Amino acid sequence: MINLIRRDLIIQKFQLYLFIPCILFFIIFGSHLSAFFIIVFAGFFIPINAYSYDEKAETNILLNSLPYTRTQIIASRYIGAIFYMAVSIGITIVLFSLFNRAFTWTDIAIGAGITLAMFAFAFPLFYLLKPGYIGTAIVIGFILLVILSQPAITFLGEYLTPIVQFFASASTTILYLSSAGILIVLYAASWLISQMIYQRKAF
Amino acid sequence: MKNIVEFKNVTKCFKDFSLENINLQIKQGYVTGFVGANGAGKSTTMKLMMNLLQADTGEVKIFGMDYAGNEKEIKERMGFVYDSNVFYESLNLKDIRRIIAPAYKNWDDKTFYNYIKIFELPLNKAIKTFSKGMQMKASLAMALSHDAEFIMMDEPTAGLDPVFRRELLDILQEIMEDGRRTLFFSTHITSDLERIADYITFIQKGKILFNDSMQNVQDRYALVKGSIDLLNQDTEKLFIKTERSSYGFQALTNDAAEVKILLGDRVVVEEATLEDIMFYAKGAKHQNV
Repeated sequence: MINLIRRDLIIQKFQLYLFIPCILFFIIFGSHLSAFFIIVFAGFFIPINAYSYDEKAETNILLNSLPYTRTQIIASRYIGAIFYMAVSIGITIVLFSLFNRAFTWTDIAIGAGITLAMFAFAFPLFYLLKPGYIGTAIVIGFILLVILSQPAITFLGEYLTPIVQFFASASTTILYLSSAGILIVLYAASWLISQMIYQRKAF
Repeated sequence: MKNIVEFKNVTKCFKDFSLENINLQIKQGYVTGFVGANGAGKSTTMKLMMNLLQADTGEVKIFGMDYAGNEKEIKERMGFVYDSNVFYESLNLKDIRRIIAPAYKNWDDKTFYNYIKIFELPLNKAIKTFSKGMQMKASLAMALSHDAEFIMMDEPTAGLDPVFRRELLDILQEIMEDGRRTLFFSTHITSDLERIADYITFIQKGKILFNDSMQNVQDRYALVKGSIDLLNQDTEKLFIKTERSSYGFQALTNDAAEVKILLGDRVVVEEATLEDIMFYAKGAKHQNV
């Protein structure tokens, strides 16, 4: 299992050289960006990049011909994503401190939360889609987002007051704990769904 | 004699193609060649063997074990060479070794570097710069470095030049020498099989036509030539396919002994090559037309 996770670093060793310069670019030229945005970018970078390599049918044939089970292959993806996200965020925090970029622990918590939620949605979708369709799916997803954002905002406008009131009345601790709980459930559900999809996949 | 691989009534259906009721045994310690036309079901059969596909019905056993619950143990003892490159294209062999080696308990670096030397493979060049032959050698080096007992190769000789093809056959013969390994490989190039195969499995349109020793195949199958007036309902039953021309007929039989008894000196009986068998079997639906 550790070998499968380590593989993510071997396959993208050239892209890894880009990682720190990219983060530095955001820190130096992105002073208008929220710190959490940079955290999301950093956390997303390695796992999604690694995934783009695994999308190919040949890679799946290789992995499934080696002595690994499909359960292990999916588990390594989900555990690896958390691991690399944590390391990347750690590196980003060090860079933030070195370059005196202001950030709060809330930024980090929100950044990590958003990243994990994105993984939870992206992975099963990627396993479900045939190779080559992921690009199309992202475009369609983006268009849907643009179309749906208008009614969503109207909806929020109507119900915003009660929502804000709810959040205001809840204590920060409860807020954090409940979002962490929702996130864990989301990630676990995503893991299970990916596993079910991958188990049935033919290569 | 032990069977390394056993398929019992395996069926796998796709939208436009299906493998039907496949029964197949691969004998331990021998080279089994797997022949059949394009689209006959060779790759599908091999994917079932590697558990890349799961059978709809029937039983697939490797080393006497089911894949359910034994997947790692089976694959630990299996080596694979696919007809297309499955390694990360942008990586070099050194990095690919770093990914593959830790997957196997039995991996031996010494053996690996030894084969890299014998096969004259560069360690620091990206796989995408490799020729087809080099990619095949790289796969084979990987399969041999973890001491696989059963090596499955999907068209390893396709796209190789004749010199390297012979070299490869020599290498394969060499790795078979100690009798511990079993080799199963598919090919269109039937002359390769005539050189090294002990057993032949012939697949056609998703069905196994025969699964027999090379010797038996050569004894049973024959090309028969004679004059047209010898053909009647009884004699034609002996033939898988008959071709007629103004000079006479030419037919393939899978019962050479019976032909000799019935028709004796009135026909010429010639040894059928695997290619003859493939060619005639392909048109067999026009049998007795």
